[in-house]
Amino acid sequence: MPDVVLQARGLAKAFASPAGLLPVLTDVSLEIFAGESVSIRGSSGSGKTTLLQLLGGLDQPDAGEVRILGPGATLVAPRSSLGRGVGFVFQNYQLMPELTALENVALAARIAGVPAAAATAAARALLGQVGLGARLEHLPSKLSGGECQRVALARALVNRPSVILADEPTGNLDERTGAEIMDLLLGVVAERGAALVLVTHSREFAERASRRFVLSGGLLTPA
Amino acid sequence: MPWFLHLALRQLFPPGKRFPAFAMVSILGVALGVASLLVVQTVMNGFGEEHRLRIRESFGDCQVLAAGTIENPEALAKQLAAHPEVASATPYAEGPALARNADFSGIAQVRGIDPADPGQPARKYVYDGSFDDLDDGRIILGVGLARALRVRVGDRIEIWSPAMAERAEKGKAPLPAEFEVCAVIRTGFTEVDNAAALIPLRRFREIWNLGPRAHGLTLRLKQPALAEATAGRLAVGHPELRFRPWQDIKKDFLAAIRFEKTMLFFLMFIITLVASFSIGSTLFSAVIRRTREVGVLASLGAGRWQVVALFGLQGLLIGALGTFFGFVLTWTILAFRGVILDGINSFFGDGDMVANIYQFSKVPLHYDAADFVIAAAFTLLTTAIAGLVPALWAAGRKPSEAMRDA
Repeated sequence: MPDVVLQARGLAKAFASPAGLLPVLTDVSLEIFAGESVSIRGSSGSGKTTLLQLLGGLDQPDAGEVRILGPGATLVAPRSSLGRGVGFVFQNYQLMPELTALENVALAARIAGVPAAAATAAARALLGQVGLGARLEHLPSKLSGGECQRVALARALVNRPSVILADEPTGNLDERTGAEIMDLLLGVVAERGAALVLVTHSREFAERASRRFVLSGGLLTPA
Repeated sequence: MPWFLHLALRQLFPPGKRFPAFAMVSILGVALGVASLLVVQTVMNGFGEEHRLRIRESFGDCQVLAAGTIENPEALAKQLAAHPEVASATPYAEGPALARNADFSGIAQVRGIDPADPGQPARKYVYDGSFDDLDDGRIILGVGLARALRVRVGDRIEIWSPAMAERAEKGKAPLPAEFEVCAVIRTGFTEVDNAAALIPLRRFREIWNLGPRAHGLTLRLKQPALAEATAGRLAVGHPELRFRPWQDIKKDFLAAIRFEKTMLFFLMFIITLVASFSIGSTLFSAVIRRTREVGVLASLGAGRWQVVALFGLQGLLIGALGTFFGFVLTWTILAFRGVILDGINSFFGDGDMVANIYQFSKVPLHYDAADFVIAAAFTLLTTAIAGLVPALWAAGRKPSEAMRDA
């Protein structure tokens, strides 16, 4: 049986609102295994992004805990895995506008402590793999939406994380480009042996994951 | 290069932009502040130095005085001149007298000097006539006194000394001493120019019945800046004499110059402070604009202090570049100060104020490395703080909030 790379138990999260505390997640538990892909669907405001942020360590749950496969194959708190154990792909790419495609990808490696030359070499190789070998020196403003998302994907993968958390990665793309990105995402992630947690509105893309969940009423249930 | 420095540089100077407005305007603001501070300080230093030089030239680097007159001044001068720190020692005598030209009169501070001394500072300040014409029958007047007496070079005046009153008391006719004006000096020191009257020491002794005595000695020192310490060393073994360094002679005036400089530094520093605050506010809006990027950096694993460094360094870089260009601007303004002053004078129609009021041929300068170091240190400190405040705010945001709120 494959190793667990991400483990979430009893996650709960509520946000303050003028009407009082608004519960978003009430009791979410999830285990992700190495190399698998998991999709999470849900309506707007159902807490998909919040769940992804809790899984990735960008936010703290009010209750429950998250553990991610860290160095030495031990499960650690997600905050210490940011940039290494876990890679993010966002809906609107979130690239640094002043950095070229190559620099954007290398930046993630540099932040993880990889020396500049090695970071650049890894970024160059990954951008070639996602089909942007000829766009290395382009700024995000000179790239199409699909190309930007490819750069974002390369950036998420450059530190060889055990989990990729993708938040609506095709949300800003047209149907055809979205399909291309999904193919690439599933292909490259599988090729690198990483697990994928995909949050999406699209039933079609969600169906392509090996396991599928729906988030509703603060609970995660198999689709 | 650390990634945050690389990113800070890129955010300040984005590639493909010919005019990175935020960076350029901020750097220019700091540069103008630094330049204002340093131009004012350097010119103030220049005025201060000029005034100090004139004090030394008017009164000597060090005056040697006694409780009364000095009995054998030539011997004492010879002895003091032999000291390794003394360049020259010259006896002098001085005293007030009534100067008169027909219906015009004024109080003259008459000083007996050695006309043959090539180092006599008055030579530098002659603006009419010739110093070398000074002899027993001639006198040099300060420009203010000459005007008060309505005399020019070649005119004659009378000097009535207090010693003449003694003659009158003894029943003798108190005849005034007559002199022909051979030169007029203008030092820029009002109190000197309005009263100075220079005659040969020998003639002074005659008029004042001094005999071989003198009122004091004027010392020129090899290191005038160290006059206070030198005076202390010279005083050893001369308990009957008082050695008065030039810093003591015009103590209040020098203190006023220093105070003026300090106040101007304070006022000009406020300009730099305002520039730094505007950087802080601009950087704050830039950080707010980049809030989502802060969240992204956190998602990539960037630590809190790396985010602080990213934005803090931008403030520091603006400060460093602003200081550098401020230095360049200072040098440029000061190098072309004559042209700038001519422009100001012609615009306001005031004529050459520096020459008319201060008798300086051009705006004096004195570069003081300490001013540059202090200006750079203050500027870097304030711009670093200006960058640090928004940086700390950015780093304090929760990544999820940063990404949601942007």
